[in-house]
Amino acid sequence: MPSLEHGNRHQGSAIDPADVTFLRVSSKLITARLIQRGLGGLAILAVSALPLVFLSSGVWPGFPAWLAWALPSAALLVVVWVLALVPRQVHAIGYAERNEDLLIRHGIMFHRIMVVPYGRMQYVDVTMGPLERLLGLSTIHLHTASPGTNALLFGLPAAEAARLREQLSARGEAKLAGL
Amino acid sequence: MNAQPPVGLDGRPGREGFRTDGPEDWHRVHPVSPLVRGWVAVAAVLFIFGRNSLDTLFSGGPRGQGGQGLAAGAPVGAVLAVVGAAVVVFGLGFFLSWRFTRYQVTDRDVHINSGVIFRQQRRARIDRVQAIDVVQPLVARAFGLAELKFDVADGGKSAFKLSFLKLAEAKRLRAAILARAAGVAIDPDAPQDVTEAPERAVLSLSPGRIIGSVVFGSLTIVVIAALAAAVVLAVWSREIGVLIGFVPIFIGFGASYWKAITGDFNFCVALSPDGVRLHYGMLETRAQTIPPGRVQAVGISQGPLWRPFGWYRVHVNVAGYGDDRSDHGNRTVLLPAGTLDEVMAVLALVFPDPGVDNPFDVFTVGLKGPFEGHGFIHSPRPARWIDPLAWRRNAYCATRTALLCRHGFFFRRLQVVPHERTQSLSLRQGPLMAALGLVDFELHSTAGPIRPVVRHMAADAGRRLFDEQALRAATARRIHRSEHWLAPAMDPFIPPAPQENNHGH
Repeated sequence: MPSLEHGNRHQGSAIDPADVTFLRVSSKLITARLIQRGLGGLAILAVSALPLVFLSSGVWPGFPAWLAWALPSAALLVVVWVLALVPRQVHAIGYAERNEDLLIRHGIMFHRIMVVPYGRMQYVDVTMGPLERLLGLSTIHLHTASPGTNALLFGLPAAEAARLREQLSARGEAKLAGL
Repeated sequence: MNAQPPVGLDGRPGREGFRTDGPEDWHRVHPVSPLVRGWVAVAAVLFIFGRNSLDTLFSGGPRGQGGQGLAAGAPVGAVLAVVGAAVVVFGLGFFLSWRFTRYQVTDRDVHINSGVIFRQQRRARIDRVQAIDVVQPLVARAFGLAELKFDVADGGKSAFKLSFLKLAEAKRLRAAILARAAGVAIDPDAPQDVTEAPERAVLSLSPGRIIGSVVFGSLTIVVIAALAAAVVLAVWSREIGVLIGFVPIFIGFGASYWKAITGDFNFCVALSPDGVRLHYGMLETRAQTIPPGRVQAVGISQGPLWRPFGWYRVHVNVAGYGDDRSDHGNRTVLLPAGTLDEVMAVLALVFPDPGVDNPFDVFTVGLKGPFEGHGFIHSPRPARWIDPLAWRRNAYCATRTALLCRHGFFFRRLQVVPHERTQSLSLRQGPLMAALGLVDFELHSTAGPIRPVVRHMAADAGRRLFDEQALRAATARRIHRSEHWLAPAMDPFIPPAPQENNHGH
């Protein structure tokens, strides 16, 4: 598993617990997200370029030229910005198995860190979309009795996801508490 | 109606012994039930049809005398035929739906089979029962019937309903289910007698309190806003007709007031060994039982208009209730409007050990305001840039057994979550909060009106709380293992069975 690196402390991690080493998810997730968001970005670009097409083809000559140019350029800027953020975001995803609970962290600017006790887990979902299947990745979703628990872990290598699922189920059963 | 008479019968209704059923014993609900459920449809059909046919009769009658003697007879025959057909159709439908609804209470499960064409077989695990209601709609009260409604924690969105049973039978079933849910030891030799647990009234609210709480409630704020909007619109447009357009809205408000007042009327809280029992309702009465340890979180709130009166409303999260708004949204209300003393009395029922030596002081500080002390840790000064009004009130306090979160400026709120009921935790920080060194702490409880959160805390305090709370919750979980609150703590874990399964018969 080349993709599993033992990460050291992230930048901007002011609220991360001090003595925890997070495992990172596969860097293939960068590829997956670039493809996903790139396709979405292309669609947005295409739509925002419509006025320019109308203007240059003479269908709608009255459309202000500056706006026709500004729309797709603004869209391009946003798309490039979003794509440029992807590697940083993926590197910011981390998880750590502790004795009693699983820690999951996300995000740099909008930083979120969550702890899900093993004894509280009701069930664990492992899903794999078509793109993920191609890259050998899976997503793990932990469910507790609370709808607020939004514990998603993207971009785990399939083998690691299977191991984690087994591990979580075993620990969940050992520590299961009532509601 | 029962398959066989109970063995330990002593003759008094509601007090007779109860036997759980074997796999072959099935019971039916009361035969009048479909009529009680469907009387609105029957009444509507009768009303529409009756009006039409009367019209025909009266308009047709004089004409018939006017020479067409044959035409007058036909409508009467048709009327009789249609009425007869309606009676047969409704009667048959009601009979079939009654005939096909059966239930069974075994030692472990409650089975309910229903449906004529689309059969439904539901099974509820008794040790997963979270709360039980005995509901009596107005028509059912006239027949002395009641609906038994209970929620189960594992999955299933909708509550289990048995409608309708005789009131005494409903109460006895409730007692039986609760006794088994409590894990009362079952003696296989003796008949498993269950008598209803005696209840002790704790407090009841006067009609004046209920009416006052609704009149000064948040609905009134909306009404005042709507009234102001109407007047402003009328003045601005110089058209008095605008006010007439608002009449339906105000009729709607009137209906809401009526519903709120009748819904909470005669509210009374009692304690029985089965748990906390709430009785309320003017036309439709409801007796709600929440077994001990089923309360996941408590929220105490106070709107601005209640402040002079010192009233508070108490909500609870119970796993089975969810965000259920179907029953006027007041199933989650533990106390519609109570003084501080009453709030403390009710809290003591659902939450016997607050984990501090001076609970009254701590909760008073928690409810009333931004005073220092009693272990409350506040938002730091930089929070005023994000939260200019409420930052002084944002605070948390961790007692030995629960976490208290306080927030809100106009609508004051205090949320209490027992450590052993903590599902998961999270910390959040956006860019603005990072710049100010703040962090939001979230605590996840089961679905319900209370979503505990501590806003805008200093980053290091938040991180410390996060670590400590995870530890406290883990410790509390180890101590509170048992689902059966009366059984000894040793409780072998049984994997949750699927709630609805089809086993043909």
